[in-house]
Amino acid sequence: MLTHIIERILQALFVMLVMSALVFVGVYAIGNPIDVLIGPDVTQEIRQQTIAYYGLDRPLWEQYFTFLGRVLHGDFGRSFVFGMPVLELILSRLPATLELTLTAVIGAAAIGVPAGIYAGYKPDSFLSKLIMAISILGFSVPTFWIGLVLIIAFAVELQWLPAGGRGDTASLFGVQWSFLTLNGWTHLLLPALNLAFFKLALMTRLARAGTREVMLTDTVKFARAAGLSEWTVLRRHVLRLIAIPIVTVFGLEFASTLAFAVVTETIFSWPGIGKLIIDSITSLDRPVMVAYLMLVAFVFITINFLVDLTYVALDPRLRKGRA
Amino acid sequence: MTDAPLLAVTDLVTYFRTRAGVVKAVDGVSFALKRGEVMGLVGESGSGKSITGFSIIGLIDPPGKVESGSIRLEGRELVGLPVSELRRIRGKTISMVFQDPLMTLNPVLTIGAQILLALEAHEKVSGAEGRKRAIAALAQVRIPDPEQKVDFYPHQFSGGMRQRVAIAIALLHRPKLIICDEPTTALDVSIQAEILAEMKELVAELGTALIWISHDLATVASIADHVCVMRYGKIVEAGPVLDVLTKPKHPYTQGLLDSLPSRAKPGQLLARGAGVTDAAPPPRLHAEARREPKPGVPYFTMELVSKRFQEDPGPIRLLMQKLGLAQPPHGVQAVDSVSLTVTRGEALGLVGESGSGKSTLGRMAAGIYAPNAGTVLLDGEAVMSSGERPHKTTTRVQTIFQDPFASLNPRMRIGESIAEGPITHGIVSTAESAEYVRAWLAAVGLDPAFADRYPHQFSGGQRQRVAIARALAMQPDVVVCDEPVASLDVSIQAQIINLLIRLRSELNLTLIFISHDLSVVRHLCDRVAIMYRGKIVEEGLAGGIYDHPQHDYTKRLLAAVPVLPVA
Repeated sequence: MLTHIIERILQALFVMLVMSALVFVGVYAIGNPIDVLIGPDVTQEIRQQTIAYYGLDRPLWEQYFTFLGRVLHGDFGRSFVFGMPVLELILSRLPATLELTLTAVIGAAAIGVPAGIYAGYKPDSFLSKLIMAISILGFSVPTFWIGLVLIIAFAVELQWLPAGGRGDTASLFGVQWSFLTLNGWTHLLLPALNLAFFKLALMTRLARAGTREVMLTDTVKFARAAGLSEWTVLRRHVLRLIAIPIVTVFGLEFASTLAFAVVTETIFSWPGIGKLIIDSITSLDRPVMVAYLMLVAFVFITINFLVDLTYVALDPRLRKGRA
Repeated sequence: MTDAPLLAVTDLVTYFRTRAGVVKAVDGVSFALKRGEVMGLVGESGSGKSITGFSIIGLIDPPGKVESGSIRLEGRELVGLPVSELRRIRGKTISMVFQDPLMTLNPVLTIGAQILLALEAHEKVSGAEGRKRAIAALAQVRIPDPEQKVDFYPHQFSGGMRQRVAIAIALLHRPKLIICDEPTTALDVSIQAEILAEMKELVAELGTALIWISHDLATVASIADHVCVMRYGKIVEAGPVLDVLTKPKHPYTQGLLDSLPSRAKPGQLLARGAGVTDAAPPPRLHAEARREPKPGVPYFTMELVSKRFQEDPGPIRLLMQKLGLAQPPHGVQAVDSVSLTVTRGEALGLVGESGSGKSTLGRMAAGIYAPNAGTVLLDGEAVMSSGERPHKTTTRVQTIFQDPFASLNPRMRIGESIAEGPITHGIVSTAESAEYVRAWLAAVGLDPAFADRYPHQFSGGQRQRVAIARALAMQPDVVVCDEPVASLDVSIQAQIINLLIRLRSELNLTLIFISHDLSVVRHLCDRVAIMYRGKIVEEGLAGGIYDHPQHDYTKRLLAAVPVLPVA
């Protein structure tokens, strides 16, 4: 097990290294930030000074290794636009996205998995057909449109919930969170629902497909033949057996939502990192883009690693070394 | 009341109403079973024997339904009983053991947890009490170290041990009736013999009645008092085991017995498999002269071949191994320095239990796996090239696999599958391939018009014929048959055996026949090699080995084979 973990960490470091090079070159290719940073009317001298200050006059490989050297000391540079350390900037925005994403993904799993199991257990009932019809909607209707409909329905017409912003926050571990206040929850609900809709459909369909398959296996027949109740069969056998694909998708969806909640955050003016990255792309704020993309790679690697560990917990066959 | 049967099944009818029509799986079955009695339910696949078992325990999945008839357990009618009532009977009064314990036990729960679930289904038990009972249940079915084994997962057990766990669960509430659906079919003969003996003892000890469902007449003969022979959903013959098996009255029972290779003289065509008239195979392509064995060179030899399966560690792990941070991955020595010689036209049987390395050896003979050490030579020429990436160098060795459904591409018409190899290797031109395929289909007893069909449109036996045609269309001299009849019903098995006997003599083929079934090997093969843990422990003429086994393992293997009573 320890060998496995060391191996994975080495792999992760390698991936991060490759990622950093790709990101650095990619970001370098999309334009010169100097034109955005300073007005066209400054003197050539100041322009040269600014370029030299940010080290943009040196060759790309030198810039890259300087960057790597700083990263090893935990320094991702300063944002051109905000003038503050990038790491601090991103970490200040991360909690907002994190709580939004977690609410969406956990909510989707909490509703989608039971709904899917039911639809797989009784595929011919009316409710199952309704669940599957809704899940097709969740797949096919674009997120931004659902977001707009949610705002029109709940914020404009019914006026039950606010249309945007984060609302009141409370402090926990020195970080501001919305989910700790009632007002924060009212702000969180609509964007989370919007984000959750697609995942809900995905979880439902996965759980349904898994359940249908498992229900036909001899494991279920044998359990029934031993006199187990249907509820026990579903809870103890089926749920455990369909867990692996669901955990996989849960992890992937969590990571991708965390990284790319841009659309929803924009519609609901949610001050998360999705909005930050869009802003930094338009202003060519290189350090923020690079650090953000590195963070995305890190999040994906970490979550995939956690998912793999979960597999081992869920499926004893993956544990190495027989007794 | 004491004379009343434990179970009385009368005119049981179970249909599956599908879109394609009504399948009359069980069509008017009646029998009765006394307390403690063992009844065998015998039939080929599709005869309705399993569905009869599932009907009794009330586990027929839609679209199946018990249409009419009566199932009385101690006088109580089970047909039409509400689901909640049936659940109270299942596992408590009637329980069931299935064919493949790998499929029935939940792979992600410990054995203890699964036994506890079955206990809690009918009793309230505390955790500690449940654990104690689970350990006792495992001890009862003779699982060693039950205190430790109770925390094991199914994959940590061997096949036989897993089936013992399933039996332990079935016995948990001391049921009055256990239905065993092919419980030893997936097991090796020696394990089967153990389970049969233990089951007999347990049943006698606990006074449990048993319905033993099987396709194998010999296992049924060794455990059952009575036997019912089923065909097309009906019981065609019933009576005491000895009477039915030694003096069968119904022609179907007689036919089943006649299709067993153990009851025929070795090498003879089997009675039941006869009747299909097959066309002669297409003529050999190369002049027979080219195929004459070279003088002084052994025909087909395997010299000190070994095969070890080992996980590729990958660069990082390799580095860590060098640094002493990781252990090298665990490997399996499948075949260990085996040497074999086969003369031209000979049939060599390769016998062993699962994991003995017989299939791996066969694949090295066929040039599918490259051996780690040793050489495989046909007419003095290597079957595999040597070097970093060895590849097969001849088409003269071909393979017939056990499961034709897995070895035929499901999206290719079988005509294309058969023609693919011969066209690639220039044995036949694309223009002539259709005619060539038709000739081969006729030679294996199939309608030549079937060339346009897909594998799923065939029955198991027909698919195996296609697989044989595909292998032989490559014009091989040596054919490696890896369990080619293992998944077939006895009567179909008899047909395929007959086909192999006929084609072997007509084409002067050399066969390497891999099987766990000793009677099939004895029937087909001139010489036999017994494999055990990657080595050949005994080798010789078939008659000699079967009548005078020398090695202990061979003796044990032969003793484990259930024998049919002879009139």
